[in-house]
Amino acid sequence: MTDSLTKDPGAAIAAPGSNKKKIVRRRSKRLKRLFPYLLVAPAVIYLLMITLYPGIYAIIQSFYFVKFGPWRPVGLENYVELFNDREFWAALWNTFVIGSISLCLQCVLALLLAYYAYRDPWIQGWRIVFLVPMLFMPSAVAFIFKLAFLDGRVFSDLLIRIGLIDSNLAIPSSIWMSRALLILADTWQWTPFLFIIFVAALQGQDEEVEEAARLDGASWAAIFWNISLPLMRPVIAVALILRAIDITTMFANVFIITKGGPGGATETISYFIYRIGFKTFNFGYASAASVVMLILTVIIAQLVVKRAFVSGRG
Amino acid sequence: MASIRRTGGEKLWIRYLILGAWALFCITPALWFLSIGLRPRTEIITPQPIYWPTFSLDAWHMLWSDWPMAKYLRNSVAAIFGSVLIDLVLAIPAAYSLARYEYRGRDDIGFYILSTRMMAPAIVAIPIFFLFRNAGLLDTVWALMLIYAAVNLSVVTWIIRSYMLDIPKELEDSARTDGASDLRILWEIIIPAIRPGIITAAVIAMIFAINEFLFTLLIASTPKAYTMSVALANFTGGSDGVIYNAIALVAFLAFIPVFIVVVAIQKHLSRGLTLGAVKG
Repeated sequence: MTDSLTKDPGAAIAAPGSNKKKIVRRRSKRLKRLFPYLLVAPAVIYLLMITLYPGIYAIIQSFYFVKFGPWRPVGLENYVELFNDREFWAALWNTFVIGSISLCLQCVLALLLAYYAYRDPWIQGWRIVFLVPMLFMPSAVAFIFKLAFLDGRVFSDLLIRIGLIDSNLAIPSSIWMSRALLILADTWQWTPFLFIIFVAALQGQDEEVEEAARLDGASWAAIFWNISLPLMRPVIAVALILRAIDITTMFANVFIITKGGPGGATETISYFIYRIGFKTFNFGYASAASVVMLILTVIIAQLVVKRAFVSGRG
Repeated sequence: MASIRRTGGEKLWIRYLILGAWALFCITPALWFLSIGLRPRTEIITPQPIYWPTFSLDAWHMLWSDWPMAKYLRNSVAAIFGSVLIDLVLAIPAAYSLARYEYRGRDDIGFYILSTRMMAPAIVAIPIFFLFRNAGLLDTVWALMLIYAAVNLSVVTWIIRSYMLDIPKELEDSARTDGASDLRILWEIIIPAIRPGIITAAVIAMIFAINEFLFTLLIASTPKAYTMSVALANFTGGSDGVIYNAIALVAFLAFIPVFIVVVAIQKHLSRGLTLGAVKG
């Protein structure tokens, strides 16, 4: 161990200029202790620049009225206004509704598909087909759905052809059809994400357990429900958390497909902050909304994400 | 041994009906969108949708003559590769530190890095907009490069960390008794051993960078720094309406390289997407 101390890269740097072995040893010891911090420091500093700096900036700005002129301090006014702002609460609600429906739908679909796919001998070869939607840029996917359902009316036309409806659907003026459209676009693109993760998790499980259960006469559905599913719970948690993060921060689809309409029914929290900040240029107010979101994010990170990722892993 | 699992359980026709239906659901919109890219503009938005359009390369020619498409491509490539490079330079030592050393605060630092993945772009968008504006970096590829690197750093670090955790410690210990320094061990033993992990992390970061939308929209407000993703949203050319065939072609232009790299790292994809949580 002491031998490796002197071989420490830090020792070589510390050595020149000092001939006393003791000092070198002490310095290299300190360097040895600092070494892992030095390795991780650049990444942490870089990330602090995009999280801590903007966080502090947003907190300060949220106490000011900021439009184009000089900043004018307004105390808590932005927050008071925010908590009385029906549009803000609506945006939170919309994010929750659209997000939770999408998440449940995608999880159920992906589990069902993974259940049928993971035992398939050819699935390794043709699962790439299932991944296609995921490989498009989200902004491109948004345009696919905008054209098919709104501008090009392809969906309405197909329904008319098979006789389900008589005239074009008025999707843009319907709250639930607009929301459903966002949910559908997200589900089309991202169910594959959950699917391949679930397939990988299922295939990684011990086959012998399944075979033993099988020999005891258990049905495949029972094996899946009672053995495979409980075993893959940590994986499901991680995958759903990652998906939940992206759904709740959904922006491109709202920006391109619905612009938050009709009447704000599809305005998510990300779009709300964007609209306040970069359409009405009320930066102080938008920052107040950002701070509220930031606090929510930190709470959820501590409660949910930390448990799924950090504990329960080797 | 041919396991039971491979021979399957319930009726095969149900399996293939369900998987086949889903495959169709995945593929049809994509193929239809390709057909949009290869038809003349007059056949896109019509009173009755046209399902068998005439073939036309109008959009392709328009892409290169009416817009600085080559420039958008160059911007995308520069910003994406630059950001991935920054990520690797920062993430490899960080991941090494998190995976291989015991020290106070390590888990908190690791979790902090991970938690930046949770940050909604909208939350930090305004301060970052001002930060780049004050630095005179708005509308530059440099700003995009820096922001993509920041967005992906958490993911890259955690993926690489996961692969490093898999390497048996004995490998290093024998090198260390031979007198190799920590940095040399990282460079000569660890990095070659986790090459698949590094490639996976780079590919995932590349895809996320291509997809990034909100920051790009804010930072690249003029065509000078447009990337493919945002150029798309701006093919809405005013009085012309949305130019869908150009959008479709750009979408496929970005799709092809992503498809190729994903096929190349298929085996590692689910591991990469879960930041190392699934060893598929």
